Amino acid sequence: MTDATIPSAPAKPSAGRRSRRRGAGRWIVLGLLILFLLLMLAPLVLAAMNAVKTAADYAARGPLALPHSFTIAGLKAFWVHANFPRKLLNSLLLSGAAAVFGTALSLFNAYAIGIGRIRGGRALLVLILLGIMIPQESLVYPLYYMAKAAGLFDSLWSVIIIFTVLQSAFGTYLLSAVMQEFPHELLEAARVDGATRWQILRLIVLPILRPTLAVLATFFFIWTWNEFLLPLVLLASNDTQTISVAMGVLSGQYVSDPTTTAAASLLGIAPTILFFLIFQRTLTKGVIVGAVK
Amino acid sequence: MPGLIGFLLVVAVPFAMNIGISFTRWRGIGEPRYVGLANYTRLLADTAFWTSLENTLFFVVAMAVVPTVISLVLASTLFDYVANTFGQGLSSFFRAGFYLPQILPVSAAGILWGWILNPHGVLNLILGGLGMVGLQGNWLGDPGLAIYALMAVMVWLQIGYSLVVFMSGLARVDPSLYEAAELDGAGSVQRFWYITIPMLRPEIFVVGLTTTIAALKVFAPVYVLTNGGPNFSTMVPSYYSYYQFFSTVRVGYGAAIATAQTAITVVLGLIFLWAQSRDEEEDME
Amino acid sequence: MKTAMKLALALLAGLTVGTGPALAASKTFKVWWYEPADGALGISWAAALKEFKQQHPDVNVEFELKTFNQINQAGSLILNSSEAPDVLEYNKGNGTAGLVASEGLLQSLDKPFHDRGWDKILSPSAVELGRYDQNGIFGSGPLYGISDYGEFVSVFYNADMLSKAGMTVPKTLPEFEADMDKFVAKGITPIAEAANDYPAQHLMYLLALSKADAKWVSDFEGLKGPLDTKPFVYAAQKLQDWVKKGYVSKDSTGMNANDMISQFTSGKSPFAITGTWLSTAFGNIKTFHASQFLFPGNRFAPGSTGNLWVVPKSAKHKDLAYDFIGITLSPKIQNLMGNSGGLPIAADPAKITNPVGKITTTLFNKLVAQKGLGFYPDWPVAGFYNVVLQGTQAVIGGSITPKQFGERLKQAYDAGLN
Repeated sequence: MTDATIPSAPAKPSAGRRSRRRGAGRWIVLGLLILFLLLMLAPLVLAAMNAVKTAADYAARGPLALPHSFTIAGLKAFWVHANFPRKLLNSLLLSGAAAVFGTALSLFNAYAIGIGRIRGGRALLVLILLGIMIPQESLVYPLYYMAKAAGLFDSLWSVIIIFTVLQSAFGTYLLSAVMQEFPHELLEAARVDGATRWQILRLIVLPILRPTLAVLATFFFIWTWNEFLLPLVLLASNDTQTISVAMGVLSGQYVSDPTTTAAASLLGIAPTILFFLIFQRTLTKGVIVGAVK
Repeated sequence: MPGLIGFLLVVAVPFAMNIGISFTRWRGIGEPRYVGLANYTRLLADTAFWTSLENTLFFVVAMAVVPTVISLVLASTLFDYVANTFGQGLSSFFRAGFYLPQILPVSAAGILWGWILNPHGVLNLILGGLGMVGLQGNWLGDPGLAIYALMAVMVWLQIGYSLVVFMSGLARVDPSLYEAAELDGAGSVQRFWYITIPMLRPEIFVVGLTTTIAALKVFAPVYVLTNGGPNFSTMVPSYYSYYQFFSTVRVGYGAAIATAQTAITVVLGLIFLWAQSRDEEEDME
Repeated sequence: MKTAMKLALALLAGLTVGTGPALAASKTFKVWWYEPADGALGISWAAALKEFKQQHPDVNVEFELKTFNQINQAGSLILNSSEAPDVLEYNKGNGTAGLVASEGLLQSLDKPFHDRGWDKILSPSAVELGRYDQNGIFGSGPLYGISDYGEFVSVFYNADMLSKAGMTVPKTLPEFEADMDKFVAKGITPIAEAANDYPAQHLMYLLALSKADAKWVSDFEGLKGPLDTKPFVYAAQKLQDWVKKGYVSKDSTGMNANDMISQFTSGKSPFAITGTWLSTAFGNIKTFHASQFLFPGNRFAPGSTGNLWVVPKSAKHKDLAYDFIGITLSPKIQNLMGNSGGLPIAADPAKITNPVGKITTTLFNKLVAQKGLGFYPDWPVAGFYNVVLQGTQAVIGGSITPKQFGERLKQAYDAGLN
């Protein structure tokens, strides 16, 4: 990997530079990709279809038929019963904080291990990897007792701290692996020029890693959003609960109404999809900047 | 280093507590009773536990091997072909599309896949419609099939993750490298082998390790689709310890399962890291 | 990264607001349950709470609709903290209510039970599941929970399909089987079943109970001695026989409860053998008339009183909690439950006009009168549920023999004896 490239001034992406491919082959490739995409998205279409059906329609024709009816009762029921706005705020706070703090923590950790070259970096990395190796259910009881002792039981803070750390285990590993591939000459040169560690991080490392950081933040946001077990146990009251936990509110012990559940899941993932679409732009921008070297 | 303190508090201390709990008989509240190695001797004789370890291998294939291969091909197609031929926008669109399954909460994914895989579900309807009645199956109810059904669900779920990591890795790659290779007469397969794969080596290691770990502690699809059945054919360690933690409330035994599981994961993770650092050293030469 | 910084700051600001202390009121009464709001229980408990508010205009009432999962998995931890409410719905059974009762987290209700006259409303058998001894085993010891409803497993049938086929409600098992043969001859699978979920084990247990007497049931449920597997082996045999005859489809091993419900409600199968928690859903079917009968020939059926109202030891307003429990037991609320299609424990059958509630209540009273509540197959040992579920699934799928089924249950059961 000695030929790692050095970023230079951004230029226009090289559209058209290699656009010699004009054969029929490209349509076949496109067709195959679209087919595969449709296959991947079919389950989501199924959810959307059933979310707007009436329960009677579902009962009569099953989940696979196109809707013969249209109702947002399921969506509304979830909105009201689950106190959706409050849960939305909690989920946003939790996932947003875990994404931002987790990414920052990952960057600092990885910088220290990967480039700061602190002693025993690799051993430390293995230790940190424990964070993603431990099955979460085994942390539930200890974390409960610790949160209780710290007076953070039933507080969003407890889960924010926990997920920041848990997610940063993955982030630290990913970033330090990427930093191994870093142009060391560049860092050396900066050091020779008298740049402090902090300046190197801010002016050299950060810009190059930006696309990866954006990906990390997106991952962290979405993973934390869908976390179920720890919020379920550590957040007792409804005022602190998150959306993914609230999604169970419509299913009782034995009865669950599939149309409302479909509606609930649609409503539950809508914010993540929105978030992803917004960040999708950042990701793309990052990719272009990074790609032009 | 704030990371270290946080890590000690959230991971190391609770994990040490978990090991401590595994030597006790405890119901989650009240006083634990020390029982020595009793939980571990029981574990060694527990066929359900051994079955769950065997099943994990299937999940490694479905979560680490298959999605990585598919995503590598997809990523290089999108980066080297679609982006150039049809534009960056379309390539991003596909990436977003393939990533969407990752966004779905598990509870919702469980219901959806239940609709698809049940004997009168979408999959069998489609197979019937295509005249392939012989291929129809009782996907979740047949002990011989259920694990493969779950594997398919995992592939579906995991592709988006590795694809996004690979594509962000390709962002570091200089497109002129491909261009030069193309001018030298390298076909797309050669470019894939000699440029994409070597350039993505760090990402491949990251994805390989993280998905292998994820496979070793896979839980959610089992929880929502099969409960480890039929006939324990889809039982996995995480579900088994969860079951002891929260259904039977044998917290000590659950902790023993979780400890054993973590130990296995750590050993495998170390082997992975060792291979990775060897690979890097070779690279340095 | 500027946007990221801004985002972080905004989040921090939001967080401090979000976790600020709740408005302090003079007297706040907290109540939790997890039954869906549109079910019979949800409707009648909401009415009870409304009544409570009228009786206590000075009290600030905080109600939270929880999820079954949360109480099932985190219930003991919440009760062990200072965040517990004044009264909450809690899962009956040794592993749940028994556990927290034996750890001293619940308030004994013996005093209000007598002082407030609940003992006149509830028979001793109706509170059997509310009593737990010091080991957390139900049936004896102090009273820790009150249930105000019941549940049992019976046969739901599609009355339109039966009358079209010229059938009446079968009185005996052979009659029932003969009816099913006729449906099979027409290419219809008679029983909607789901073996990848809870329903199939209820049918299995019904068949086992058909060969059981009162002593076997009480020994089995009370963990008294090694398991006598004869009824279970018989049930497995019968079940495999029914699969062979086409009464139950082998496909059911891949179906969950929702699939079973939809198979019955869409009119594909004339029978669904399941619990009264589905009475309201089946009563709402518009396309045909659904009704129910007790499993023919059985004295026992799976069934019991429902989940419990419990009062945490740490509750701040215990008297208010007792007031609320008292209201749920009042004739007004009990009759409302019946008229919403539910199964009240102390309603006046004459006052119930809802057809679903009426037949359910009538059948339940009949079952109670013949001392036929057989509880559930998964109760005796913690974690038995999964063993029974997977065993029944394997029996229906044909991957184990009835004898192996019996051995598997025995192994798990006897391990629980200690």
